[in-house]
Amino acid sequence: MNSRKKLNFDTVVIGGGIAGLQTAIDLGDQGFKVAIIEKDATIGGTMIRLSKVFPTLDCASCITTPKMSEAAHHDNITLFTMCTLNALDKESNKVTASITQQPRYLDPDKCIGCRQCEYNCPVYVLDEEQGDLTLRKAAYIPFSNAIPQLALIDVENCSLCGKCAKVCPTDAIDYFQEPEDFIIEARTAVVTTGFNMTPADQKKEYGQGKIENVITALQMERILAPHGPYMRALRPSDGKEPESIAFIQCAGSRDKSLGVSYCSRVCCMYAIKQCMLLSGSLPLADLTIYYMDIRAFGKGYEQFYQNAKAMGIEFVKSKIASISQGADQSVALKYEAQEEGGKLATREHDLVVLSLGIVPEWDPTGICDIAKDTDQFIQCKMPKIAPTITSIEGMFTAGVASGPKDIVDTIAESGAAAMEAGNYMKHYH
Amino acid sequence: MSKDNDKNKDDEATDINENTDANDTVEKIGVYICHCGGNISDHVDVEKVAESVKNIPGVTKVHTNSFMCSDPGQELIEKDIKSGSINRVVVASCAPSLHESTFRGAIKRADMNPFLYDHANIREQVSWVHDGEPATAKASILVKSSIEKARGLKALDVLKVDAKKHVLIVGGGIAGMRSGLDLAKQGFEVAILEKSPFLGGQASKLSRLAPSYEYAKDLIVELYTQLSKQNKVTFYTCAEMSSFKGYIGNFDVTLTREPSDAVKSKSKGEFVENRGIFIDNIPKETEEIAITIGAVVMATGFKTYEPAEDEFGFNKLEPVTTLEQFIQDYKKAETKKGILYLNNKKIKRIAFIHCVGSRQIPGIHEPDKNGNLNEYCSRTCCSSTLQAAERIKTTCPNTDVFDFYRDIRTYGRFQEDIYDSASEKGVMFFRFEPDAQPEVTENKNGKFPISIKTKDVLTFNEEIEVDVDLVVLVTGIIPNDISSMINMMKLPVGTDKFLQEVHPKLRPVEVANTGILLAGTCQAPMDITESCAAAQAASVKATALLYKGFVELDPFVAQVDTELCKGHGECLKVCPVDNTIEIDKVAKVNPALCTGCGICTAVCPENAIDVMGWSLKQYEKMVDAILAA
Repeated sequence: MNSRKKLNFDTVVIGGGIAGLQTAIDLGDQGFKVAIIEKDATIGGTMIRLSKVFPTLDCASCITTPKMSEAAHHDNITLFTMCTLNALDKESNKVTASITQQPRYLDPDKCIGCRQCEYNCPVYVLDEEQGDLTLRKAAYIPFSNAIPQLALIDVENCSLCGKCAKVCPTDAIDYFQEPEDFIIEARTAVVTTGFNMTPADQKKEYGQGKIENVITALQMERILAPHGPYMRALRPSDGKEPESIAFIQCAGSRDKSLGVSYCSRVCCMYAIKQCMLLSGSLPLADLTIYYMDIRAFGKGYEQFYQNAKAMGIEFVKSKIASISQGADQSVALKYEAQEEGGKLATREHDLVVLSLGIVPEWDPTGICDIAKDTDQFIQCKMPKIAPTITSIEGMFTAGVASGPKDIVDTIAESGAAAMEAGNYMKHYH
Repeated sequence: MSKDNDKNKDDEATDINENTDANDTVEKIGVYICHCGGNISDHVDVEKVAESVKNIPGVTKVHTNSFMCSDPGQELIEKDIKSGSINRVVVASCAPSLHESTFRGAIKRADMNPFLYDHANIREQVSWVHDGEPATAKASILVKSSIEKARGLKALDVLKVDAKKHVLIVGGGIAGMRSGLDLAKQGFEVAILEKSPFLGGQASKLSRLAPSYEYAKDLIVELYTQLSKQNKVTFYTCAEMSSFKGYIGNFDVTLTREPSDAVKSKSKGEFVENRGIFIDNIPKETEEIAITIGAVVMATGFKTYEPAEDEFGFNKLEPVTTLEQFIQDYKKAETKKGILYLNNKKIKRIAFIHCVGSRQIPGIHEPDKNGNLNEYCSRTCCSSTLQAAERIKTTCPNTDVFDFYRDIRTYGRFQEDIYDSASEKGVMFFRFEPDAQPEVTENKNGKFPISIKTKDVLTFNEEIEVDVDLVVLVTGIIPNDISSMINMMKLPVGTDKFLQEVHPKLRPVEVANTGILLAGTCQAPMDITESCAAAQAASVKATALLYKGFVELDPFVAQVDTELCKGHGECLKVCPVDNTIEIDKVAKVNPALCTGCGICTAVCPENAIDVMGWSLKQYEKMVDAILAA
């Protein structure tokens, strides 16, 4: 049992979000064999969980699924989901990744994704895929376009009632499945580990997550997504259709008190996008964005911003001083009203969205010697002319792992990482 | 619980005509209709559409799914093919441009010819533009017409054409050099076309770069040093493209090189300030060079916006300059008693005005003489301005620096640090609204030659007047004029005049013309990091296209029925692509060049020419189906 499986690839890609998928596809298209290591039960990363993307308003599912599907069906790409990376080492031209695959508590070769286990499971738990705004079962497939379409059992919440095992048509359920350790040996590695948001309860002035109807931008993404928790735009506390919605920009970025002094780069645009989508589903709602600077710098972004202004979305230049609970479960914001001579003003909104900061998802400390920079993201050794090269030869990085980035910049950088890795294997190996 | 039911419903399949396995030559059409997670089903009653087509003769399977493009959706198709239930596929979902290749892939995996498939667009053409009953009715009609087209589909093979492992890079700036280096390392032959005698482009004019303070010159020299070690790279300097023909894998390009009196006394490989690395092979007389290449990387770069006459006093008041000029002058700047001296002039006070020629708003800003407005943000100028401001305050603390801005966009990694540092060192910021731009006037009697008036949003719209020695206009980025190449190569251009990518999110370095890729600022404003990332992404796409030595093209090209053709040559007269058709008793089509536009089929008096996969007969059937409904 303990003899660890060893697999060989040309490149091991750490993280199966859009950066990892694009990197793997661009390497696979050059003929290299690639393994994608993903910690979740599905590939797709943050992008597949979004509603629509700026500035095209393409639905995120519609444009992410083809990439997921392309990677999953690519002759040169192998996916490993539910994997924890224990160590990533580089020694004498060889990258070694030591990995533990967490159990799904079912045999992936037998599971046909029919969801009978899910339909029959009696246990309901908060659905993290829906921003904890609704419930899922303890036996479940993460979402309808997850890849692979395999169920898993959330063993922490499972009541061991045995129903799933009884209804499974292929006898795939295995309550005694153990984590499996294995090793991937490769010639190169690409770190595409993506991001996380700063905690919503971090800032004392913003109520530390205890105020009703203050949600995060990623929760708003789910509310706006086609298969969202409510299938329409409602506020969580009482299901009221909000008549006034506010966005607080830089609620976790450009804020030295939180240790995030940098700009998170995408929040201005997603707040504007969410306003545009809300104005579609709630045409009468008042939409307000409280901001410091609107950073609409990408291709077509400024025009998107100007359109939002023309649509009547209100932009208030101000850093919100504090958030408190208002009357009737509304949210009261205190701020300096610059248009009114700088006097301290308070306004109430039915629903408030925090544009939290972006922080790295993965900390290499103790796992890999790859250098971090002062902002804690992966350090780029030649940030100008070779932006994907890291401190370790043969290890590359792309996407938000090396700093906040939007999807298009992530896609370009992923191509760049695939080029660097490809050329490295061609020449120095 | 209701959610579970919904999910059950997604996979509802209607099995009809179970006696289908009688004869395999009969068309058995599977119809797969997508909800697109609500994008379609919010406006189109998908189940009703399914119901409306299930009894059409030849339709053997009808499925609906919330995301047909997802794995479970694709598996429905694969399963039906493998079980022998279907031999034609109709997918009704989004535009085929998004998912055609996805579904072809699924069909191929099930060992069926991927061209026995047609696609009805019921999202862009229906649910996004219609609502309610009419939307459902139109979706139904489109699916029916697609079914009729699918009936007439024949198995086709992709076209395989040899591809040259030789790439032309247009533009010898940072992006072009970066891409050239990547492709040379791949073992490809690389031709770098550059109109000047220098490599390095716009970056040669820069000094220290934000936010790393590296010298632009060092980066250019580094890239050139690596490039010159590659033995398959040819530099065609002093050159322009004079003709462009062919198709991916085999483009025939003519380059015209002209003599130049740029620099005589420089030696090869030497960096010339503001101009770049000198490539010492200037032609003595005009020469033409013909090369055949497999792919093209466009790296034609940008120029800076030239302010209009008297825009913020430009060209009218002497102490008004541009950021581009300021960077040149600052390289030779002096400091006396902590005060900046530029061109021997004391600059006690200096002002920067952002967004000159960028973020222009219709109705507020004046269009240029061609009626153009630059509505986009030029992306790089906030950081370069703040770095300049920060450098001044660091080396000349007794010079006052004023910064007039709309939004500070220090979005990139470590750029915010420059903003912080500039603020800490005492740069004074004023924020203006686009409809109340700063006024720059001559200050005849004052201590300083220029006066700037503005309404400052930061101090609650206080009227502020600042007198300064020098005004620096932070001018934006506009694409280089490459109209002759745009015409020759038929390149798509956006409303912002930059080259237009296939998909602004997912395919930023490709254009609709296969084999042509985009690197750097010809596509949109970018800094050097972003240009290099884009250049490397373009390189990887070129590599994937060419590394096998052949490319595969769609088979939707014109085909001549030699029995019927009388060689009139009507097709040749209307064909928009040179050399595609030749007449040798009968018409002959070069399938690699043919774009499948179908104009020839419309003019042929004998009906002897037809586009494979899109025949006239199929169109007739589609029209009949539409009219019948």
